[in-house]
Amino acid sequence: MDTLAYSSRMLGWAPLGKLFFVIMVLIANLATSSMLVPVVTLAIGLILMAYSTNFRIPFLIALALAEALVIIAFGCGMVSISGDTGTVIWDTHILWVHVHMTDDSFNKAWLILFRGVAGMAVMMAFATSTPIPHLSQALRQAKIPTEISELVVLIYRYGFLLLERMEVMWNAASCRMGFNGAMRSISTVASIAVGIFISSTNLADKAQTALECRNYQGYFPVYNQPPKMGVKWLAISVLTFAGMYVFGMYTEGWIDMCDILLSGVIA
Amino acid sequence: MSDDYILEARGVSYTYSVRQDRPSLDDVSVRIRRGSRTAILGANGAGKSTLFYHFNGVYKPKSGTVLYNGEPLSYEKADLRKLRSDICVVVQNPDEQIFSSTVEEDVAFGPMNMGMERDEIERRIQDALFKVGMEGYRKRPSTQLSYGQRKRVSIAGALAVDPKVLILDEPTAGLDPQMAQEVMELVDQLVEAGTTVLISTHDVDLAYTWAEEVHVIRRGKAVFSGSPEEFFSDSARAFACGLTRPTPSSVDASLCPGSPHRPRTCAQLLCSLAPEGAVFGKVRIVPVDADTDVAAEVGNVPDDQSIGVYGAIAHRAFSSGGLRVDHGFNAIEGCMTDAIRGKDSVLFCDSNMVPLAKRRGAAIEEYGKGAVM
Repeated sequence: MDTLAYSSRMLGWAPLGKLFFVIMVLIANLATSSMLVPVVTLAIGLILMAYSTNFRIPFLIALALAEALVIIAFGCGMVSISGDTGTVIWDTHILWVHVHMTDDSFNKAWLILFRGVAGMAVMMAFATSTPIPHLSQALRQAKIPTEISELVVLIYRYGFLLLERMEVMWNAASCRMGFNGAMRSISTVASIAVGIFISSTNLADKAQTALECRNYQGYFPVYNQPPKMGVKWLAISVLTFAGMYVFGMYTEGWIDMCDILLSGVIA
Repeated sequence: MSDDYILEARGVSYTYSVRQDRPSLDDVSVRIRRGSRTAILGANGAGKSTLFYHFNGVYKPKSGTVLYNGEPLSYEKADLRKLRSDICVVVQNPDEQIFSSTVEEDVAFGPMNMGMERDEIERRIQDALFKVGMEGYRKRPSTQLSYGQRKRVSIAGALAVDPKVLILDEPTAGLDPQMAQEVMELVDQLVEAGTTVLISTHDVDLAYTWAEEVHVIRRGKAVFSGSPEEFFSDSARAFACGLTRPTPSSVDASLCPGSPHRPRTCAQLLCSLAPEGAVFGKVRIVPVDADTDVAAEVGNVPDDQSIGVYGAIAHRAFSSGGLRVDHGFNAIEGCMTDAIRGKDSVLFCDSNMVPLAKRRGAAIEEYGKGAVM
């Protein structure tokens, strides 16, 4: 993700501005119950991602996104069969589960799915264009306590090292047949987790010494300061929010997924 | 060697934890000469790194004193900041030292902590990255570099501070032989520029070849201070300290037991073994500056002569010009070896490294079998 961010065309944009814009769009995404607002949010997210990365998303990240989508879709499915008010579309028992789908729950599930997908697209646009150190800088500019922004950088940096170490330990365990059988695999993973925890404390100790050797004064200085958020970003974010909100209020109830997809079933 | 000492540990003792069965440092007294090449030798866990962290004030001795420029260290925050600007430690594992996300941010880390002006930081970043040959990686994320590249970046981070004393903990550990030679070439440049360089190593061949003085630590105690030849002349003493005898020393002791000379490099060893009346080739040194027309000089070198390149400026000129190179690393040694084998060579050498090359040539002459320059 960080590699993508460093090669993003949006790298030079003010990180705090991007963060503020994304937050405003996400709030607007949730502010009304119009089905069209998430569509607009999705469009914004996709356009930004297209500009930022040309959709050259690494396979592993795409897989992680697909997994998140499946989880959201599963959650929406659960919402849709847990109806309360509205016209009953489907009412039955499957094993011990009482399926009670109403037009309200069906529409709500679709709204949540749309919002979820759209929100992910916008957040991905931010994540694929903002390296963690820039995010830390944005946090500083937003007057978040230095300790938190410094921790973000340190966790980011040492997260990589611990992951590398975990990979080595994982491979070493494989070489010693540590993954032969389910129980042995669980035991091996637990041992690796303990090893990583111990490594993290050793690493922290060494990092403290190395920081002192490099004249650390209590904060991580940034040589290339990313641009600050100006009035332009504020105006764009507020106007986008206002536009989406008004649009959402105006288009509320325009789209009825139950009517579109299940009109034949209900009839 | 002068008796001007820049660093001194006087009776330093240190214990990490009260439960240790022996102190990590036990009454250690060591003196480091200004502008010297000094190696601290010792087996794993001997206390080398602990001693280094005393020199830059990261650790405070439980007893004893550490002196810098003849003055005891002050552990006040402002004084430590100044001290660590003068004495820079490069830790063994670069991953423990690189904190920033990109190469240039990391190299700028030290100068920014010193509160320097942006223009000066920029100049130091360029200079440091040029010296370690990483100027093309300036904007790269540090997580995407190989181990050797990260090692170079960690050294560049130290160079950017422009220290008076550079302490390198196992500088060649984990590096391939070529990169190890390149790092030591860089260290040679620093020494020639007046920096005091202190390294810790297990590599006895490296310490024997490179150092002017060695200090040996065994189980937290300083057991020897003196020349590498003197220390390694006694095999039993080296073994007792968890070390072995360097290759040139042991080969010479086996083949020339009565020889008055103690060869420290392979070229010197070959010279020692050469028959009387052997005809040596010559090494011609071409000083290289930024404005030297290297291509024209290379054009004048006959095909039967080898070409060696030593120093960052010379390397840059050869790589950018795509010129012929026979000894791309450890070139002084390569050219000297060629000369002893009777072959002429040309050594393209950064101007500030010429005295070093001449000293190596003079060391060959001391064997009384002929000159190579």
